[in-house]
Amino acid sequence: MPPQGLEAVLIAEREALLRFLRARGAGDAAEDILQDLWLRLRSAQTGPILDPRGYLYRAANNVMHDRFRSAQRHRKRDGDWVSVHGDASAASEPPLPDRMLIARAMLDQAEAALHAEGERVLQIFRLFRIDEMGQRAIAQHLGLSLSTVEKDLQKAYRTLMRLKDVQDAE
Amino acid sequence: MTNSNEHIRQEALEWALATQETDFAGWAALTEWLEADARHGAAYDEALAAGNWMAELVATAAPAQVRAANDQPLAQPRRNTAWRRRGYIAMAAALLAVLLIPVWQMRPQPYDISTRPGETRTIVLDDDSRILLNGNSRLALDRARPRFARLDDGEAMFEIRHDEADPFVVESGDARLVDAGTAFNVMRNGAALDVAVSEGAVIVNPDREAVRLQPGRKARIDDASGRITVSQVAVAEVGGWRSGQLSFADASLTEIAAALERTLGTPLTVSPAIVHRRFSGVLQVQDRDEKALLAVAPVLGTRAVKRPNGWELVASDAQP
Repeated sequence: MPPQGLEAVLIAEREALLRFLRARGAGDAAEDILQDLWLRLRSAQTGPILDPRGYLYRAANNVMHDRFRSAQRHRKRDGDWVSVHGDASAASEPPLPDRMLIARAMLDQAEAALHAEGERVLQIFRLFRIDEMGQRAIAQHLGLSLSTVEKDLQKAYRTLMRLKDVQDAE
Repeated sequence: MTNSNEHIRQEALEWALATQETDFAGWAALTEWLEADARHGAAYDEALAAGNWMAELVATAAPAQVRAANDQPLAQPRRNTAWRRRGYIAMAAALLAVLLIPVWQMRPQPYDISTRPGETRTIVLDDDSRILLNGNSRLALDRARPRFARLDDGEAMFEIRHDEADPFVVESGDARLVDAGTAFNVMRNGAALDVAVSEGAVIVNPDREAVRLQPGRKARIDDASGRITVSQVAVAEVGGWRSGQLSFADASLTEIAAALERTLGTPLTVSPAIVHRRFSGVLQVQDRDEKALLAVAPVLGTRAVKRPNGWELVASDAQP
């Protein structure tokens, strides 16, 4: 059965979605990206969607973010990456234990950096990004004001961005 | 210039945080902001990436590992070679970019919600998902895991706000149910678990049998053998207990008595002479008290008899 709700919203929002994709840097590929996205959503969809408009924009936003990251990765690989390993294909799948160890070491560093901003900053970031709790729910859960949660989250994100900048530059 | 870059970073960060809220609706305003300056897009992506980066580290570093929220970061032997190979991280992150499964949890903060026989409760979760708990039931929730519930006893109807990235999980006994839609009823029933779906879909034991239940399907999972039997159910009957409508398909009188006890709050047993009897059909219960029992008993071909510790269903032609 075609997901009529989603399709109806797609038709109504098509121009706005294309404009959003272009604003996100899709350029001439906007139409293709939207088409591709629609086919994927259509085959993946299983249940009724509560907020079809938000669902479509969110999916479009994710596609563009993935493109941003893959562009970043290519830049990085063209730089220092291949020089270490020589062979890009061999490098693409490091053994899992190594990956875990490296990730753990970096995670420790990131957690320590957040912790240095205050234990609450770390806790709120975890609730928001790891447990995917909304800001309002976090405020309620911890008995804090929404603006306190927001400020702590901004602190956490700024810290992570700084840390990531340093590591990307190394 | 530095100032304006700083300003852009701040705005981008605010947008990145706002758009991660599940009820974010300001996509048109975001579009306008992105169009206003060519630098906005990259700044926005960088802010998003910072949060994702750490989430992916968590997923890579500690799959399925529980760490207390107040733990200090674990001391790990830091190997120099590890840092030289930091390029792996970008790759690992890329592999995990689409997964984004919150595998690592906060310190568990479990709490139980139980109902007395005849009592029902509605639990509204933070994301507006609802769990309607029938009488004589016990449900375990965990504040640190908002997308998880365990049904220890009784019956509950789940109306879940679906999130593909973070499906709601219900456990009961050895069975694990993962929502792939919105509405389903779960009933712990003696030595088995009944799951019936009215909207969306539920996946039973995704790591083992991975039986997918569509609306109008019902599964019984036997506790002892783990065997799953799938049958049909009318969608309108799923969770019908909420309006006093109890549906049964080839159910034993013992099962029915348990359901009535849950709903009516009256202790109810079945006479040994008729425990083997089975019934298919819908019982409509008007009031949640003993009067309803007197009205319902004849439909089952039985009579309700008052005993010292409650009520008993006996064959309608049995001598008093």
